[in-house]
Amino acid sequence: MTFVRSLDRLLIKIESAFLVLFLGTMIVLAFTQVVLRNLFDTGFLWGDTLVRHLVLWAGFTGAAIATSEERHISIDALTKFISPRVKSVVQILTNLFAVIVCCLLAQAALTFLSAEKEAGGSLILSVPSWIGLIVIAPGYSLMALHFVLKVIEDAMKMSGASGEAL
Amino acid sequence: METLLIGLLLALLALFGAPLFAIIGAVALLAFGSAGIDSSAVMVELYRIAINPTLVAIPLFTFAGYVMAESKTPVRLVNLARSIFGTIPGGLAVVALVTCAIFTAFTGASGVTIVALGGLLFPILVKENYPEKFSLGLITTSGSLGLLFPPSLPLILYALVANISVDKLFAAGIIPGILLVVALALYGIREGKRAAVPTTPFVWMNVRSAVRAAAWEIPLPVVVIGGIYSGLFTATEAAAVTAFYVLVVEVFVYRDLSLFRDIPRIMRDSMVLVGAILMILGCAMGLTNYLVDDEVPMKLFEFTKTFIDSPTVFLIVLNIFLIIVGMMMDIFSAIIVVVPLIIPIAKAYSIDPVHLGIIFLTNLEIGYLTPPVGLNLFISSIRFGKPVFTVVRATLPYIGILLVALIVITYVPGLSLWLVNLLGVR
Repeated sequence: MTFVRSLDRLLIKIESAFLVLFLGTMIVLAFTQVVLRNLFDTGFLWGDTLVRHLVLWAGFTGAAIATSEERHISIDALTKFISPRVKSVVQILTNLFAVIVCCLLAQAALTFLSAEKEAGGSLILSVPSWIGLIVIAPGYSLMALHFVLKVIEDAMKMSGASGEAL
Repeated sequence: METLLIGLLLALLALFGAPLFAIIGAVALLAFGSAGIDSSAVMVELYRIAINPTLVAIPLFTFAGYVMAESKTPVRLVNLARSIFGTIPGGLAVVALVTCAIFTAFTGASGVTIVALGGLLFPILVKENYPEKFSLGLITTSGSLGLLFPPSLPLILYALVANISVDKLFAAGIIPGILLVVALALYGIREGKRAAVPTTPFVWMNVRSAVRAAAWEIPLPVVVIGGIYSGLFTATEAAAVTAFYVLVVEVFVYRDLSLFRDIPRIMRDSMVLVGAILMILGCAMGLTNYLVDDEVPMKLFEFTKTFIDSPTVFLIVLNIFLIIVGMMMDIFSAIIVVVPLIIPIAKAYSIDPVHLGIIFLTNLEIGYLTPPVGLNLFISSIRFGKPVFTVVRATLPYIGILLVALIVITYVPGLSLWLVNLLGVR
């Protein structure tokens, strides 16, 4: 359990660092663009495009952390009425379901990426358009990984608990 | 039969707490799969919405709101409002309503208001002899009060999903938003008089020192709202200015927060919310696109038309439907999932999409207060250590007032559209 925990912690640390980098750049660059545009009638040609993609990157990093902290939006109307033991079984099942969906979405993202690569075209200046999409598949994979770690942790907790009961 | 079984299974997973984005993602993948369309179609829509220029406003405003919630802005805001409104009977209730509304507009109705401002106001209200039940209901209700005011996150999200101009929606929310605040304030004043609460005399000195204390924050609403309405900059640009300005002011001017100790944590917290919203948004846009291609909204319209032929009746049914949605879903998912289906139907009944947006958000605002999943009820219950049932009972009179206001907002489109036309916002 400690290994799973510390792996999750390590991932969160790395993700947090990236997140600060993404959001920090976004704040400074978006503000700079406004100042340049409104006061000096100029601006970086790539500025707005980069800011928009930073939203995508920060969003996926945030979503990965949300997975670890169980802060994804859910309806969750029934879990209040079941016992803790049943609840952990249910949680394992719902998290496994999320793993599958994340993997399928990651696969869909890869298909989209290779189609975009084939089609060519550029995002801005000489940057090819597929560069804009590269974060999506790793983003979903990262979430899948966090969900898997959750499942392992819950399963170990359960077997540990039943072991004590015996 | 098979579809029904899968549907049931997904519904069960959702009710047992599976992340909503996974449910919606699964439905989207299945829908495209059954139509023989490659699953990457989901990603096309995700990417399209993710790099929409308006979306940039969401992380920037959310971050700014979280920074303000963590700094001493709430204290300064309350002091300022008290120095102005403290003199009228029930003035403290008015203070609570006004400060919470302004604060919610900036923090995006994510429950931060009750924690940041409610925790501050509730003890003061009780100490000044406001009945506890009244105060509890007041704070719980105020937690989502400002979401019709710019630059609230639900307004931006609605504009994004409905594909209408954010600036228009920002203008449309003002008068209905004021209506809600005034209606609740009148009730607060009445109850304040009845409880014979003490008033604070109006002293110019106090106003001056409170203004001086908040001098760096007072310009913010003026810059945001004035800037957008005057056409000086767009909502996205206003978000960029706000995020940068708030960061500089709270860290370097007020020194409430440390750049290295607090800001990374706040960045993380705010982006977790943005990430969670983006995941649902991405999957739902793919699904919506499929449903619209499949003409599902039109089929729904054909269906409703057999029962409902007048817009008036449609609006009544819509309000009831939306309150039920608000009871079951949080505001962000509700906007993302329901709006694309409702808009074409409402259009067929010739209801203005901007007006519809205001109706929609007012309904969801009430949804924050209705059991079983009204978010404010639970936050209040946890924050003030009261049973949820007590909180529910305390909020009932407020729900009543809001429902009356909702009816007015629904049947007087001018409230929403007058300012839009006056300002000529596009």
